[in-house]
Amino acid sequence: MDSLNTYLFIALLLFCLGLFGLLQRRSLIGMLISVELMLNAANINFLAFNRFLSPDPATGQIMALFVMGIAAAEAAIALSLILALFRRMRSIDIEKARELKG
Amino acid sequence: MSPIAADTTTTWLTLSAMVLPFAAFLIIFFLSRPRVAISLAVSLICSAIPLLVAWWLLLHNHGMRAPMVFQVLWMTGGQVAVTFGFLLDPLSLVMLVIVTSISFLVQVYSLGYMAGDPGMAKYYSFLSLFAWSMIGLVVASNLMQLYIFWELVGLSSYLLIGFWHHKFSASQAGKKAFVMTRLGDLGFFLGIIVLLLNLGDLSIIGLNSQAAAKLSPALLTTSAVLVFCGVVGKSAQFPLLTWLPDAMEGPTPVSALLHSATMVAAGVYLVSRLYPMYSASPDALAVILAIGTITMLLASTMAMVARDIKQVWAYSTVSQLGFMLMGLGAGSYFAGVFHLTTHAAFKALLFLCSGVFIHHFATNDFFAMSKMGARSLRIPMVCITIAGAALAGIFPLAGFFSKETIMGALAELDQGVWLWAGLLGAFLTAYYSFRLLFVMWLPKESHAPQAEASADAKDQAHAAHDEHGHSSGGYWAMASALIVLACFTIALGLFDKKLIDFLHWGSPPSLPHHTWLLVTAVAAVLIGVALAWLEFGRKASAQQGFLSRLPALETLFAQRWYLDALYRRLTDYVVYGVFSRLFTMNDRRVVDGAIDGVCRGTVGTGWLLSFLQSGLLQYNLFIMVLIIAMIGLYFLLL
Repeated sequence: MDSLNTYLFIALLLFCLGLFGLLQRRSLIGMLISVELMLNAANINFLAFNRFLSPDPATGQIMALFVMGIAAAEAAIALSLILALFRRMRSIDIEKARELKG
Repeated sequence: MSPIAADTTTTWLTLSAMVLPFAAFLIIFFLSRPRVAISLAVSLICSAIPLLVAWWLLLHNHGMRAPMVFQVLWMTGGQVAVTFGFLLDPLSLVMLVIVTSISFLVQVYSLGYMAGDPGMAKYYSFLSLFAWSMIGLVVASNLMQLYIFWELVGLSSYLLIGFWHHKFSASQAGKKAFVMTRLGDLGFFLGIIVLLLNLGDLSIIGLNSQAAAKLSPALLTTSAVLVFCGVVGKSAQFPLLTWLPDAMEGPTPVSALLHSATMVAAGVYLVSRLYPMYSASPDALAVILAIGTITMLLASTMAMVARDIKQVWAYSTVSQLGFMLMGLGAGSYFAGVFHLTTHAAFKALLFLCSGVFIHHFATNDFFAMSKMGARSLRIPMVCITIAGAALAGIFPLAGFFSKETIMGALAELDQGVWLWAGLLGAFLTAYYSFRLLFVMWLPKESHAPQAEASADAKDQAHAAHDEHGHSSGGYWAMASALIVLACFTIALGLFDKKLIDFLHWGSPPSLPHHTWLLVTAVAAVLIGVALAWLEFGRKASAQQGFLSRLPALETLFAQRWYLDALYRRLTDYVVYGVFSRLFTMNDRRVVDGAIDGVCRGTVGTGWLLSFLQSGLLQYNLFIMVLIIAMIGLYFLLL
């Protein structure tokens, strides 16, 4: 059970769930959560590769920390965008925001 | 004649004379314009130094035997090398002295004439610009350099004619002068290109020594006639002569400097400069002779009916320039250059004298001036008489000698018609100049209609005059310039032997001398004077020319032989009717069509592509994921 493939499979599952959520959810909050899922899938990959392929330098762990930092920043920006959009449209439904339709 | 390199002193002096007026222009125009006194000082100093240089060069090289050159390479390309520098030979030295002297005198004169004009500093900067370009033109060592300064002279002429640009007629006249001379310059430039392509050398010495040998006669004639087109424009010859009378809208000192003595003589100077080349082509000389003769006669007839004093002298300038070209066309280099020299002196004097009257009486109509007491201004009256008599060709004034030389050259030709035309011209010249002089000296009181007309003219002139903001005074600044020029007018004729010696490198050709010709020419002049006396001078005279009994002819002359109307028609039919219409059609159909097509294409493509922008974020995202997946698959399967 404790092999690289298991972790990669879980990460793949998590990534696909996130992608599905990103494409399927109509609420912006839901899309944001999905993106977080995808980022975490990437994190799992980093950690797994770090542990099984080159355990000595902790590069993968450092990278995971970076990804977490970026995720936090991204969440802040995305939330403020969502807030701004909500002030304008009184809704956070992505289907309502179609002003850029050609 | 092989040229020698100029020695250091000559080089530096000439270069300083070539540069200083331009420096004056820059300083005045960009720095000292608000301070009139400083501007005037700068301008006068920067025209006095070239004057001294020119006289020093003339006296120092009194017996020169070879031309002096100084050249630096300006640009090269293939076989062609264009140089920049100066070429000093007797002709350019004489012309340099004329240009700098009259330029300086006019600047002194303008101290009085333009005093109080709000644009005085600007006026002096333009005069400096003109002096620079004219000096550059005179000493230019090759045709390209000469052409550049030729155009610069045209520019300063435009600026100075339209100096009182708030006057509509003045700005119109400036434009007319610019456009008409440009028409001739087009031919000049084509001539330069023809020479450059076929000879590869534009230096004046090279042209004069090689053109005849290296070019086929047809090509030589073509290029000579094309270059002569520029002369026709600049020297106001037959088809393009009407700009010069209109150019009298400029201040009178400008008319004296540019439009009688120096700039318009640049055309004649150019022909003299390339005279060995021209004399290699008899056809080109015949063209010059014919154009000169036609111009001389046409302009003299126009001068017979003009009432505006400056117009009379303007027509007379045109006709005298024609006379110089007749001399050159008849094969006598000396005759043309000599008449150019004397004409510069007496014509500048005529204009400057007229300027004093115009300044004093605020009218251009010499009948009105006479009634207001022109006689009381002694110095200008005496000077204008000397100059007018010189113009008519009265012994022993300068004009007599130069005119006799030209007559002598004309008498050498095979056909007698040119000589008769010359004699007719001499008669007409004497008639119109003494018509003016008699009217000025002997005012008659008893002509109601004329008095009325002149009163009208006076009112108009007053209105125009007040705009200029002249203030009276400065009489002595003007009078001193007059006296100097009058001395030249009297004395120049006596230097003909020296001048011919100098111009022909010390071995002058023997001039033909015919006693019968002398008698005939003097008789023609005297008949002209007598006719003028009968009609304008004697006590009982009505002061009306014999032309007033031929109203059709008088109108023809007063309307400048309908040349202006003809140009108007030609412009309407050819330029507006053909070219403008074709250009408009090209503009509307081709250019506009192409641009509209491009616009419509862009709009249409944008419209098609806009369907991709559904506004659904996730739809776009889905397509992106699909594409990335496909790329991934592609790399996976590879």
